[in-house]
Amino acid sequence: MRTKTLKCSSVLDHICNELDTKISSRKCQEIRRHLARCPNCTAYLDSLKKTIRLYATYPHPHVPAKNRKKLLAVLKLSE
Amino acid sequence: MSYEKHSPMPLSELELIRQAQRGDERAFTRLVSHYESLVYGFAFKVCRDKELASETWQDTFVNVYRKLHQFDGRSKFTTWLYTIVVNNCRMKRRKSKLEVASVSIEAPGGFHDTRGTDDEGRGAQTTIPPWKETPLDAVMHSELKGVLDSAIQKLPMDYRIVFILRDVEGLSAEETGRILKLSVPAVKSRLRRARVFLRERLNPYMTT
Repeated sequence: MRTKTLKCSSVLDHICNELDTKISSRKCQEIRRHLARCPNCTAYLDSLKKTIRLYATYPHPHVPAKNRKKLLAVLKLSE
Repeated sequence: MSYEKHSPMPLSELELIRQAQRGDERAFTRLVSHYESLVYGFAFKVCRDKELASETWQDTFVNVYRKLHQFDGRSKFTTWLYTIVVNNCRMKRRKSKLEVASVSIEAPGGFHDTRGTDDEGRGAQTTIPPWKETPLDAVMHSELKGVLDSAIQKLPMDYRIVFILRDVEGLSAEETGRILKLSVPAVKSRLRRARVFLRERLNPYMTT
């Protein structure tokens, strides 16, 4: 049986929204089949995941020590 | 600092909040100790500037001190806290030039079906170059660090905050919606546009 044709743009709309959810619906199964055979969509999905990972693992600096002293002074509290 | 962002609040923590609400200054300073890294980290990720992050940090804890009696315990304390930080970030944006360099995100990039494939793989033609693997320690000492900063600073504030809450802080779409007073579909729409926007800006540096 011939399967329904999925366009890459439709696939990408969906994977962008559901990147972090389990894909189990019928639509998602179609997308999984498409991804298995489409190098473009696979590369695009991988790049989106890497974008997220780069930002998620980008370390932030520590809270400057002077901040707390300044806050307590503003609120007139003692340590 | 190790901090379990999304676990239910332990009873002792709720008790700490109750004590602080009754005016116990030591309980309040312990609350500051517990959440200072979360608040500073989030503010820094939004502002991308240490000075602005410190100002937002202070404004947030001053607000917490003055409004703690309004926290009724029905939502997670972190949800309430993120809401205050977001409001302070938005106020900072209005007062400063945080978003001057932002660009329109209404028509994000992506690729189109110029030569798409169907489920049988017909018409397959690779036009999207794969991205290289980039270990984090390499990122932190490379040109890419500046690219990451520049890209997210160009992302409009409302989209930036959604991206950071969902993909960096790991909050659910529902919680993000409660913080930003947005519907879940609106959160998803903004997140999708933010992800594509950032991906497009990193693309030239990740494919060579």
